[in-house]
Amino acid sequence: MKRSVLLVVNGDKHEMFIEPNLTLLGLLRENLNLKGAKEACGIGACGACTVIMDGKPVNACIVLAVEAEGKEIETIEGLAEGNDLHPLQRSFVDHHSFQCGFCTPGTIMTAKAFLNRNPKPSRGCQGNVNSHTLMTTIFQGVNKRGVADHE
Amino acid sequence: MSEFRYVTKGINRTDGELIVTGRAMYACDMELPGMLVAKILRSPYSHARIKGINTDKAKGLEGVKAVISGADIGYRRFSFIDTPAFPADQTPLAVDKVRFAGEEVAAVAAVNEEIAAKALDLIEVEYEELPSVFDPEEAMKEGAPAIHEIVKPNTTTAWEDFGVPSSKSRPYKTVNNISNKNLIQYGNIEKGFEEAEYIREDRFEIPSTSHVAMEPHVAVASFQPTGKLDVWLTHMGYEHKRFWLAKLLDIPISKVRVHKTYVGGAFGGKISIFPFEFIAAYFSRVTLRPVKIILPREEVFAGCPPSRRMIVYLKTGVKKHGRITAQQVKLIDDVGAYRRSSPTALYLAHFFRNPIYSIPSIKHEGYGVYTNKLYTSAKRGHSLSQMVFAVEAQLDMICDELGLDKVEMRFKNFRKKGDTLPNGDKLRSYGLPECLKEAAEKIGWEEKYGKEKFRGLGIGTASMFSGAHNFPFSSAAMIRLNHDGRMILYTGQTEFGIGVDTVMAQIASEVLNCPLDYIVVNSGDSEVSPHDLGNWLSGGIFVSGEAVRRAALDLRDQMLKHAATGLDIPIEDLEMKGGWIIPGSDKSKRLSFSDMSRYGIQMAGGDPFIGKGYVKCVPEVHFWKGKYNKTASLSSGKGRFTEAYGLTLAIAHVEVNPETGEVHILEIVIADDCGTPINIKSVEGQIMSQAVMGIGDVLYEEVRISNGIVMNPNLLDYRVPTANDIPKISSIIVDSYEPNGPFGAKEVGESPRAAVISAISNAICNAIGERIYDLPMTSDRIKRALRSKST
Ligand code: FES
Repeated sequence: MKRSVLLVVNGDKHEMFIEPNLTLLGLLRENLNLKGAKEACGIGACGACTVIMDGKPVNACIVLAVEAEGKEIETIEGLAEGNDLHPLQRSFVDHHSFQCGFCTPGTIMTAKAFLNRNPKPSRGCQGNVNSHTLMTTIFQGVNKRGVADHE
Repeated sequence: MSEFRYVTKGINRTDGELIVTGRAMYACDMELPGMLVAKILRSPYSHARIKGINTDKAKGLEGVKAVISGADIGYRRFSFIDTPAFPADQTPLAVDKVRFAGEEVAAVAAVNEEIAAKALDLIEVEYEELPSVFDPEEAMKEGAPAIHEIVKPNTTTAWEDFGVPSSKSRPYKTVNNISNKNLIQYGNIEKGFEEAEYIREDRFEIPSTSHVAMEPHVAVASFQPTGKLDVWLTHMGYEHKRFWLAKLLDIPISKVRVHKTYVGGAFGGKISIFPFEFIAAYFSRVTLRPVKIILPREEVFAGCPPSRRMIVYLKTGVKKHGRITAQQVKLIDDVGAYRRSSPTALYLAHFFRNPIYSIPSIKHEGYGVYTNKLYTSAKRGHSLSQMVFAVEAQLDMICDELGLDKVEMRFKNFRKKGDTLPNGDKLRSYGLPECLKEAAEKIGWEEKYGKEKFRGLGIGTASMFSGAHNFPFSSAAMIRLNHDGRMILYTGQTEFGIGVDTVMAQIASEVLNCPLDYIVVNSGDSEVSPHDLGNWLSGGIFVSGEAVRRAALDLRDQMLKHAATGLDIPIEDLEMKGGWIIPGSDKSKRLSFSDMSRYGIQMAGGDPFIGKGYVKCVPEVHFWKGKYNKTASLSSGKGRFTEAYGLTLAIAHVEVNPETGEVHILEIVIADDCGTPINIKSVEGQIMSQAVMGIGDVLYEEVRISNGIVMNPNLLDYRVPTANDIPKISSIIVDSYEPNGPFGAKEVGESPRAAVISAISNAICNAIGERIYDLPMTSDRIKRALRSKST
């Protein structure tokens, strides 16, 4: 039985009629055509699908879309302000913090949620699997950003 | 390196903004109007005869558009290797029997995923179970269940299609499940062992590990009413994909367009063709609708080939002072249900070790053996890491036994710059001794070795070719001048994490001495770019990069020639700088690249200024119309194979907790001879990512198969390194210049992984004072080794 959900994605309100077993990731990727968040494991183990829900990072592949009712969702597509990259995005580019880039949107969203809570980090992103594994450069990307933001 | 303006610099990825905004388009992101979703039914049995398949109920389900099984497709065979000696042995869907649990049996295309999944449940397959064999050494014995009896090719082989002169395709009769074998010998092995003063024989076993590319395997196919096939794939080079899609669908290669996609990691796991790709294309052809298949992670783990499982019997003879006199290898490659790249792997296992140590006598004997398990294939370093693990482990054991210094022992046996290898390849650059010297200094070998309780040091070495004369044999590139004086560069290179657009732009900018943003790169589109080796065989920079360099040189020469005519100034007086052509004698007469575009159109009959460049891999090896020159033989090891070898040496420093068996990696130093690094940041990224991959290979990764079933087909049960597992890793790029490479560059993308695997595993064994012969070195194995030591 389909149900309706109302949620805000990157500041835009969406009312949708969906299957109750649809995941938040499915809703974003298939229904809203926001392809930034990726599915790599589908079981909450890798973080490639990370988006921010009411300020907290969630693995969108294991969150049901109906759980997002009334919530504010931020995805990678909403991060840049018009033409200006978010400082974290800039920092990822400047530190070569990606190779294939597949998990980058999820990693950036994890980092953003993390920095919101912990502006001067030593290490974050524990939950993210990155098989190109530039974790050290990701840390550089995240840390430099953390420091620069709050100096 | 300072004379370069663009090359060597750690320039940011030119497509970085695309990636960090989530706008880079991967195959899984592709949507087309009216697109169907396909799903695959896989065999639950590791060995069974298919007695019948009934798809009627599935076909009758509302929303199902097509259902296929092996009976519809028949024996259309494909493989990574398809030669008259080793004809393709696999079909996209099992025809008569299944040979591993996970094999493709039938498939459904439906309007959505849910319906496709429901339809799979409605397909009825009648199996008759057959006895299975899982252990390759059992499979080789007389009387073991026969997995393939005879493969009777019903088409020409790929080799014949490429024009390789050799005999015609012929049936392959499998005896004792041996899929393929090789024998490489030089020197005098008996004499070599007679001369030895110490001989060791050991057995090592290396399991399959998954590539764990973050993007699962995906295919989107759209067959046009015009007879053209458009595909978006997860791949490492389009030539193999379009060759096989064309052959299996019986359409011209030129009518298959592999579109550019970003690929979410590959590591050797996405090369050549896979059944799901054919299935997507076939469905699209019969329904005339776009079709998408995304393999769930579980199917990637249990249905797509991981790295090769190998057993290495190794015998090495040395003089008391450490000089190696002879080495004998018997290699068993447990290929699983299908051969795929095994003939190459058996060859490469020897070939990649050849540039490291100078060993006067070698006997290398390899067997690819069929078993009823998931078939295996290439993974970053294709069989290099397996052999390196064994060879470097045994060298350490020899050193321990004879009281030799492990660093000195390796110095004593290294080859030298300028050496010619037994197959005729030359080492024009060879920075391995410098790598060892610098890495040992950096890690503090002298100060630390043997002085710390439960801490250890270990060395690993590796070498890797820089492209080889395999299909598609060569790369080409084009560069075209635009009205605004900027250029569009066309290269067939694929983006799966390398930063090809950036490095190719750096190479072109260096030649044309113009700002980097003058070069717009169009990469990875099979219909637009000329033929390209692809990003495997580690030839991306060495071969395709050199093609780009030559294309830019061609354009440069064309522009200078016309400028000289237009200005009536001798060509020698002209300099290219910052997007201008400047006469030394009168700088005021300078012409912009945009002026040159106009000149070409107005004054040179409309000349569009298109530069082209091309490179053949190992030009002296070639064939034409039934004649060939010096082609390398995979089974005898004779013949040239590559023009340059990338080299790596890694040293690891680890600490082991004797109570828990846990390993704490303190530091890894990786010294690499990649010639000139085209983009230092990309090179460091390549090295870093391989170090982390190597950590996983040593400490926990294994595709665990029990009774033919993959036991850990997901990212919770199959552990890969995460942020917390990453130690201090430093990379050293030694000063080296490869005369044949673009600006002196050569391979860097594959050899560090193997060196790191050996370094860490040797360091662990050094720390515990006991040898572990198998990977991964889990804490359980380490505890067991420590216990056996104390008893
Ligand atoms: S795809 Fe959601 S955590 Fe891996």
